[in-house]
Amino acid sequence: MARRYVCKVADVPANGIREFAVEGGLRLVVANSGNEYFGYQAVCPHQDVPLCEGLYDGSVLTCHMHLWQWDIRSGAPLGIAEAPLERYALAVENGAIYVGAQPSALDVGELFHGLERPILEKLTALARREVHEAGDVLYRPGDPAQDFFVLDSGRVEFIVGRDERTALGGFMLKKGELFGWAALLEGQPQRIASARCLERSELLRINGESALRVLEGEPAAGFAVMRRLAALIARYLASSGAK
Amino acid sequence: MRIQINARNRGFEFEARSRESVLYAGLRAGVPLPYECATGTCGTCKARLVSGRLRDGWPEAPGRKHLKPEQGEFLMCQCAAESDVTLQVAQLINAADPGGCSPDACPGVLRGARPLAPEVMAFGVELDRPRDFDAGQFMVLAAPGVDGYRAFSMVNFERGARRLDFVAKRKPGGGVSEWLFGARRDGEPLVLFGPLGAATFYPTLGRNLLCIAGGSGIAGMMSILARAAGERYFERYRGWVFFGVRTLRDAFFLDELSSYTPGVSITVALSDEQVPATATQRWPALAFAHGLVHEVAGKAMAGKYENVRAYVAGPPPAVDAALRMLLLEAKLTSDNIRYDKYS
Repeated sequence: MARRYVCKVADVPANGIREFAVEGGLRLVVANSGNEYFGYQAVCPHQDVPLCEGLYDGSVLTCHMHLWQWDIRSGAPLGIAEAPLERYALAVENGAIYVGAQPSALDVGELFHGLERPILEKLTALARREVHEAGDVLYRPGDPAQDFFVLDSGRVEFIVGRDERTALGGFMLKKGELFGWAALLEGQPQRIASARCLERSELLRINGESALRVLEGEPAAGFAVMRRLAALIARYLASSGAK
Repeated sequence: MRIQINARNRGFEFEARSRESVLYAGLRAGVPLPYECATGTCGTCKARLVSGRLRDGWPEAPGRKHLKPEQGEFLMCQCAAESDVTLQVAQLINAADPGGCSPDACPGVLRGARPLAPEVMAFGVELDRPRDFDAGQFMVLAAPGVDGYRAFSMVNFERGARRLDFVAKRKPGGGVSEWLFGARRDGEPLVLFGPLGAATFYPTLGRNLLCIAGGSGIAGMMSILARAAGERYFERYRGWVFFGVRTLRDAFFLDELSSYTPGVSITVALSDEQVPATATQRWPALAFAHGLVHEVAGKAMAGKYENVRAYVAGPPPAVDAALRMLLLEAKLTSDNIRYDKYS
């Protein structure tokens, strides 16, 4: 998509933050830090609280509701935040700020964000975009686990078990969330849950073996991805712990 | 009633009693559902109804202002299931902390109500059996014939407590508060639910303690001080308490606070009057200053934030001002700030 006008440079206070609506329905916050401008999703990934109401000191942004924090330069979580912010590339020209194409689900995804461009491009080339309607079942227990999925938009629910003995197994709703990760693991040839779209959902489907081959050719990136995958799996095992 | 909750990372199932809020039923069953105030004001416990029927005990709850009711969103702390229900909570919910104290309904009897300052009273609740809680936690309390729960932090700290001590500030129009202040209530039965709250202190923390409290927010700090002093924490770590009130007449617990000096440095901030000369004569171990508590704390603490964990409690404007100071001036990260807002 072509770049779109966001605001004038003068609209953003020095070391301050403001929310803007962009043509096409996108809302984002723009933060100033020294001579630089950074664009992020307009609401907190925790509970959808507007981030323009947060506390910002020119380097760290804090949501006022529950004090999730981020590094304004990268959107990386700080303090008690459990998720990064989705970042939008901005361009400044003649006193105006423009936003470029929205990052892809792979760019912001929990497994692949921040990888070097050529690796991301190889992975992107493997991805097949699919659109499913509410009620569509993506896989069922016992199905071969060949592909994994990265959510672009929508909501996908998981149910563990079969027949009468089933239990809710969580759901995905954030752009970049990954599921069906058995396809990236050894010795996990079958699905153990069913995945069903709760609303119209857009997904990237990627073959697990092909992705692993790309990562084998890039051991540093592959190691980082495997560490993130381990952390993601640990999230399903962790206790809430003493705060 | 059977309640099924699908969180982002997993599902949970538990039973709820008749008219019991979804939040309390889940917490009682060991499911650490997200919440902060547990009394309808903050909106943290929002969820989405997928199927079944709910009864909303407080449709005007201030915490509903961030909800999208057209998408079936509601507050778990205010709604009870009227049939088996399935819900979605758009957050990660991990297994409960095995070291935490599990909340439950606790019947009790009110004892020892006494005035502490204008519009402020202390009271105790004798419990039916010994209960555990952590320093800095609170209970929600329902009074006979009054709708809804109100949160109060424990002042004391002990394991297997038979009695919980609380501080109440009179709040015009507040159901439980008016009930407490309205007549002599000693011997009256109460229903409590808890312990609740994540603004807890454990002696394994290994950090210097900074407590900033406005008014009755000092309650939870007293519990933290009791636990820390009991473990000789202040022989290894520093402690600072800043207690904000309007005037010296509004202050209380000053003798108790004096007993924690000199291991802990304690300052009383008076927002509405200059410090009377009598203050330091009567409480020579305490420091007194004129100003809002976050300003007094910010000034005294400058340059001392290394390895600090801050606890903040009090009325929402005082808490917000203190949090702003700690984040923007002191540059503490949010993993070293714990707070309770009494709204």
